Amino acid sequence: MTGSTKRHRIALNLQIPVLFLHFVSLLRFGSVIGVSSVRRQFASFCPSPDKTMPLKWVLHWQPNAGSTVNSQILNEVSQCVESINGVKEGRWKATLTYYRPVIRDQSSASEFPRDFIGMSLPEQPNKYYFIIRVQRLVLEADSSIQMIMEKLQSYKSRVALNFEGFQYQLGDFQLRVGKVVPTHSENLRGIVMEVEYLPISSMDKSRQVMEEFVDIWKDAVSKRSLPGYFMHLEPNFSEYGLGDHYTPQHTAVQYAYVMAQLIASAQAVQAGRN
Amino acid sequence: MECVVQGIIETQHVEALEILLQGLCGVHKERLRVHEICLKSGPNLGFVSSEVRLLCDLEQPEPTWTVKYVGGAMRGAGAEQISVLVRSMVESKASKNVLRLFYALGYKLDHELLRVGFTFHFQRGAQITITVSCVNKMLKLHAIEEALPVTPGIQMVEVTAPATSENYTEVAAAVSSFCEYLAPLLHLSKPGVSTGVVPTAAAAAASLMSDGGGTTL
Repeated sequence: MTGSTKRHRIALNLQIPVLFLHFVSLLRFGSVIGVSSVRRQFASFCPSPDKTMPLKWVLHWQPNAGSTVNSQILNEVSQCVESINGVKEGRWKATLTYYRPVIRDQSSASEFPRDFIGMSLPEQPNKYYFIIRVQRLVLEADSSIQMIMEKLQSYKSRVALNFEGFQYQLGDFQLRVGKVVPTHSENLRGIVMEVEYLPISSMDKSRQVMEEFVDIWKDAVSKRSLPGYFMHLEPNFSEYGLGDHYTPQHTAVQYAYVMAQLIASAQAVQAGRN
Repeated sequence: MECVVQGIIETQHVEALEILLQGLCGVHKERLRVHEICLKSGPNLGFVSSEVRLLCDLEQPEPTWTVKYVGGAMRGAGAEQISVLVRSMVESKASKNVLRLFYALGYKLDHELLRVGFTFHFQRGAQITITVSCVNKMLKLHAIEEALPVTPGIQMVEVTAPATSENYTEVAAAVSSFCEYLAPLLHLSKPGVSTGVVPTAAAAAASLMSDGGGTTL
């Protein structure tokens, strides 16, 4: 399949204006075929809507070397979503907390995980997720597990971050663009974007359509000449015991990787200044 | 937060207790088979030692896990006056790798048990749960198939009901009231206050077995 045909198939699925993709005539001609072929391709493994956990990629904004993230970039990104006919639906918010062990003897600090993360997701308000990236461990629990951790007094919240912004609908895709800010602060630490493909739960089966969408999205953003780009890192989910069928635990793991990347970028900038 | 009382009964009278509970509760019993793993914080973790229990429900087609924290008992004059223990308790369902998580966090295995028996859940002034179980210990790590009773011939009975700081007196009264119906077979008291088996148990059990559980609340 040529690149243009791919873009076209996705574009129809997204209901993006054809001008946006610079393949006007070809797109219009092939649009119906494109959508129906995608639908047919996925029909055999699409569970009924109430059982489907939509698949999601979490992208983060990677500033160019020497530049940093700022609210103007966030505004431009939001405008970019709207320019491709993204329909604003409302706000969303996820929260991520880094926990630190309460240690009696500081010399024993290495015995305990340094990257112990807790996370709440808007699509699962009654659940909470723990991730220890070094140990390739993700746990799903009821949100009351947070109260248990408080009672145990063995780990304390070190820093908590909010991911918050607006949600958009684009055909079969749902996009969430959000800023990364510490709780009780407006100090922008990063930008994230969730790309959710609603009809599919299979990681493998959706890979092509997701890659095509992200390519289109990157093209759209690049036209604004912003000092950076969106990056997608896919963790090796099987190392976490997660399968091909997408679950909220996949989302939690992706956020843990995004945070690691944001921290690494911030440290690189800091090192450059020093 | 929960209200709780405990007692013991000889295994030979458990069938009579089951008949009595069936009549009192008006619901069917549920089978109980729970692997309970008690973890304690490692020596350097936390300024004070902490304890958490992981419960694996083996009765489900796919075993399910629950994290349970049981805190200290409520103190003060008010707590002294009521006949049930009121204590903080928080539970959370968790995915099956919860044991691995707590090991990674620095918790160590303290002991493990296998509880086998039955429960009744019913609503009467509070959401009351009665658990009758044989408590088994494991001679080898996680060897639930080779578990042996801790106290052969004796089973544990526990009555619990969830409560809040606003309603615990009403819940405690509902639990106490219910316990009175069980008095001929067993005596229930605050955990840690052992009262042993009751002398009337054998006669009460014989009566119940002949009566066929016709007693109702």
